[in-house]
Amino acid sequence: MIRFAAALARREFVRFIRQPQRVAGSIGQPLLFWAFLGAGLTPSFQPPGMEGMTYTEYFYPGVLMMLILFAGIFSTITVIEDRDQGFLQGVLVAPVPRLAIVLGKVGGGTLIALFQAMILLVAAPFMGMLPGLGGSLMVLAALVLSALGFTGLGFSIAWTMKSTAGFHAIMMVFLFPLWLLSGALFPMENVPTWLHWVMLVNPVAHALTVLRGPFYEAPAVLLADGGYLTSVAVLVAWVALSLWASTKRVNRREQGLTGPAADAAAAPAGPA
Amino acid sequence: MIVIENLKHVYPGGRRQPARTAIHDLSLSVPAGAFCILSGPNGSGKSTLFRILCGLARPSAGRVAIAGHDMASAADEARRVMGVVFQSPAVDKHLAVRENLELHAALYGIRGAELRDRMAEALGWSDLKDRLNDKVETLSGGLARQVELAKCLLTRPQVLLLDEPTTGLDPASRRSFLTVLKRVQKSRGMTVLMTSHVFSEAEDADSVAIMRDGRLLAYDSPAALRARIGQEVLVIQARDAAVLKVGLAATLGLPVARYGDELRVEDLPPAEVPRIVERALTTHRDEILSIAVKQPTLEDVFIHITGKSPAEAQAAGRVEEGALA
Repeated sequence: MIRFAAALARREFVRFIRQPQRVAGSIGQPLLFWAFLGAGLTPSFQPPGMEGMTYTEYFYPGVLMMLILFAGIFSTITVIEDRDQGFLQGVLVAPVPRLAIVLGKVGGGTLIALFQAMILLVAAPFMGMLPGLGGSLMVLAALVLSALGFTGLGFSIAWTMKSTAGFHAIMMVFLFPLWLLSGALFPMENVPTWLHWVMLVNPVAHALTVLRGPFYEAPAVLLADGGYLTSVAVLVAWVALSLWASTKRVNRREQGLTGPAADAAAAPAGPA
Repeated sequence: MIVIENLKHVYPGGRRQPARTAIHDLSLSVPAGAFCILSGPNGSGKSTLFRILCGLARPSAGRVAIAGHDMASAADEARRVMGVVFQSPAVDKHLAVRENLELHAALYGIRGAELRDRMAEALGWSDLKDRLNDKVETLSGGLARQVELAKCLLTRPQVLLLDEPTTGLDPASRRSFLTVLKRVQKSRGMTVLMTSHVFSEAEDADSVAIMRDGRLLAYDSPAALRARIGQEVLVIQARDAAVLKVGLAATLGLPVARYGDELRVEDLPPAEVPRIVERALTTHRDEILSIAVKQPTLEDVFIHITGKSPAEAQAAGRVEEGALA
């Protein structure tokens, strides 16, 4: 199982690395967002309880999450391209567990996301965000889980889509807003009540809480915090659910109509 | 071997379109080691049958077994002994030839020394030896198809399914692809089912199956199929086929069939062929654009059985496959 998934994931990563424009684009956009929004909003950014924090710093975990979102989206777009006429056809007729197909694709997307996040993580110490070993591991785990969640979610949506054009629409009205309302751009405090509720049920908001934590608190403190642990649970549940949904989708073979309806359809078709 | 029993497939309808039956109660059995060509015009259900055979779709009723493994209950076992060459490329063109082969092998659990042997074997018959490290996108169409075939043969399948594998190839590449395929098929005793519109490809197959409207109309050896329309056929291009059909039937006293602009008299009595041609020409000189007597080919059999000219079938076939994909 792992071997199949690893072979497929490796292919995703090799393809990614061989397209320098894709590497540059997916890192460049979040970096520009970060630089511009950070520079523009820092002077007026004064959230309660976060005095002294620049917007550049506040936005940093959000940018990491954005990288992951984009990596997930890009890799799932290839699902649509591959499935009906291409590489995935050959994989689907191979004796490979369907979960391995999902893990291969999602694992590949996660690898790509981590690769990009690593580049951006170099910036953390320069902002005075320097978690210890335990904290770093927690950051890494948060990144891995978020990447699995986003890529898995993208995969389960992309699998049933016929064209990439349709996926772009879903991305703009569903995936991107998940990130917008995650606390990446603005804190959850003092927002209108309805927005607060939306953010509360948004798994990306919880992923961001999990990711932001280790930059500011010691691991021991976080692991004793009920709110933080809830967010961890939501994040893990999100990953499990999206992997399960994706596998279910891949498992489903196109089914011919059966029963009386099928007989009715066959009847007027002419002489046998 | 491939066994198809009482297969039926109905596409569920949508809000605007009713359910559509693509395959009606079709049974077909390809014996182990045989090379079978599956042919049929637009909407004949070939593509649907192919998707069911390779396990991408589940039929409404009936069963399919690949080398004794039921596609519904033992799909994994069936997949293990089966190779599939799709019409659209299923190789990753951003990867090198070697990477594609290795990745495919990995999906079938082939590694290490075994992989090296299999690679050497695959390169023995192909023209890919010097292109192993080139990306597939840099290869010609013919070579890219060879990668596809090499990839599938790497796993030593007992049953190989091919969906119009030579589409888009020039005649030389097409011939070399088939030569390779047939050689490997013979030497390994592989069971092959290949859909095709090109009748020259079918001439030296063991059997040819012809479908129309989801039903199997004929399934026999090429020789037996040709014998169905006699030793010789008269083919006439008419200025106005409808008018000439009536006139010609009266003149010759033989049944005349019309396919588009073309008229055909099949199963000619051998001794009377010259007289028939002469009579047709003297009576209908001005209505005839061309006239020919020929030994039936599989293409003629196809026209006879399906009532469609291959040009029609081919042009329409493209559309159908696009729509079903």
